[in-house]
Amino acid sequence: MTENNAIILDHGAGGLLSKKLLDDIIIPILEPVYLGKMEDSGIISLNGSQVAITTDSFVIDPIFFRNGDIGKLSVCGTVNDIAVSGAKPECISLSYILEEGFPIDKLRKITESIVTTCQEASVSIIAGDTKVVGKGEADQIYINTTGFGTFSSDRSPLSLSKISDNDDVIVSGHVGNHGIHILSMREGLGFESRVLSDCAPLNKAIQAILGKYGDDIHYIRDLTRGGLGSIFNEISNDTQKNITLKEADIPLQHETVMAAEMLGVSPLYLANEGNICIMANPRITESLLQDLQAMEYTKHAALCGKVYKSEDPKVLFQQEDGTLSILDFLKGAELPRLC
Amino acid sequence: MKKYAVLTNDMQVAFANKHEERRDAVQNFLPGFLKFINSMRSHGIPIIHLQLVISDDDPRSKENYGPFPPLVEGSKGVQILPELWDEKDTIVVKNKDSGFFETDLDEKLKELGVDTLIISGMQTQICVQTTAADAHFRGYNVIVPPETVTSTRGEDTKRSLEWMESYCAKIIPSQEIISKFAQNEDI
Repeated sequence: MTENNAIILDHGAGGLLSKKLLDDIIIPILEPVYLGKMEDSGIISLNGSQVAITTDSFVIDPIFFRNGDIGKLSVCGTVNDIAVSGAKPECISLSYILEEGFPIDKLRKITESIVTTCQEASVSIIAGDTKVVGKGEADQIYINTTGFGTFSSDRSPLSLSKISDNDDVIVSGHVGNHGIHILSMREGLGFESRVLSDCAPLNKAIQAILGKYGDDIHYIRDLTRGGLGSIFNEISNDTQKNITLKEADIPLQHETVMAAEMLGVSPLYLANEGNICIMANPRITESLLQDLQAMEYTKHAALCGKVYKSEDPKVLFQQEDGTLSILDFLKGAELPRLC
Repeated sequence: MKKYAVLTNDMQVAFANKHEERRDAVQNFLPGFLKFINSMRSHGIPIIHLQLVISDDDPRSKENYGPFPPLVEGSKGVQILPELWDEKDTIVVKNKDSGFFETDLDEKLKELGVDTLIISGMQTQICVQTTAADAHFRGYNVIVPPETVTSTRGEDTKRSLEWMESYCAKIIPSQEIISKFAQNEDI
């Protein structure tokens, strides 16, 4: 099968083929009814108030990992998508698709994990659905969550259009850890206890920095599917600006580099589930970094690049010896079913 | 003196006979490997065989292992090579690449007071490498004698040995280890 006549796994990897699927097939058909801007959350106006809405489906394999599970992930993914728009996540919906034969005790454990994560993120569950399909028609459990968030009266949504030339680029945590952790769990590679998933609700950290720095924070994006490499390419493409990253400044855990080299993958394209990039006015960078590094989920935050005006937008990767190379879109899937 | 144990990886009938290239690779390294293992036994160093057993729902259970059925429990293919097996040896059953993943290997090694692992077997770039990394993370000294590991393709072993040397293991020739032990010296 090719990408031309049927869906392949790479269409779901968050890279170039995912973008082509949306741009060439889905969006043109939806065009008469589609109002979104292809950002993490859609923003609509309801009775004069702006509301952020997002939806996401979670198909991770394995469903339980060392420091999380598909339930925690399904809350964090959606809460973080709402939070990066600048909104305060208020509530989510929760839908299960369960495979016949799925053990009730596992469903109970996942549901309890959802509750714990919702409590930590201070969000409620306001609607839900449960469907059961026959044995072999799904793999154990899939979860869909839809999130809703509100904006305070003094804050407008963050958007790509606010990114400015000379903005600093900050990454909030170690890159690629979730992908390496999940693959190591899947294959028993020996890295699973040293490299943990970064899966975490970041909404409180995001609300804290937005509350303090306001309009000096121009844009936030979570570095999920497709990883840092694909997402920075999307940002560069959509803003028509260059993003230059310094290799030595990208926060990477030693064991993650080690595992990625062994597997022949780049951590820059692996999914993260509790890691954001922030484009900010350079005048706040030092203070912002201090604040991020003082919070648990963002303690490895680092300044690792800059946004530049460009007539030929791309993501540039500056190596330690000063050499510049292009960090391209992920062509296919580094690893499937990481989120 | 350090306390040693030798781990062998996947030295099983089905793996050793998976296809002609594999059979050739194993036959080429087996005489030297057996000599090394017997030397270690003569010095009283415990030999622990990591035995991969896969469940029916594991996609690998559909793989072709030549004349042998997949590596499922109780099959002939799952057995440790008879020329390697000694009744004083220990077997640790694993389901994934690393010998530590959801097994009692770590507990067994701690009971024996082992602090240094000599890791061997096949394939170098998969089970040997992941077990070496996992052992390193758990605080063991890791030694890999290059003549005691093998892969279907020699270049995979070469690349994997380079990776292990740069991150988690000392690569020490088997003859050097045999000589040191003969002189009652640490390696």
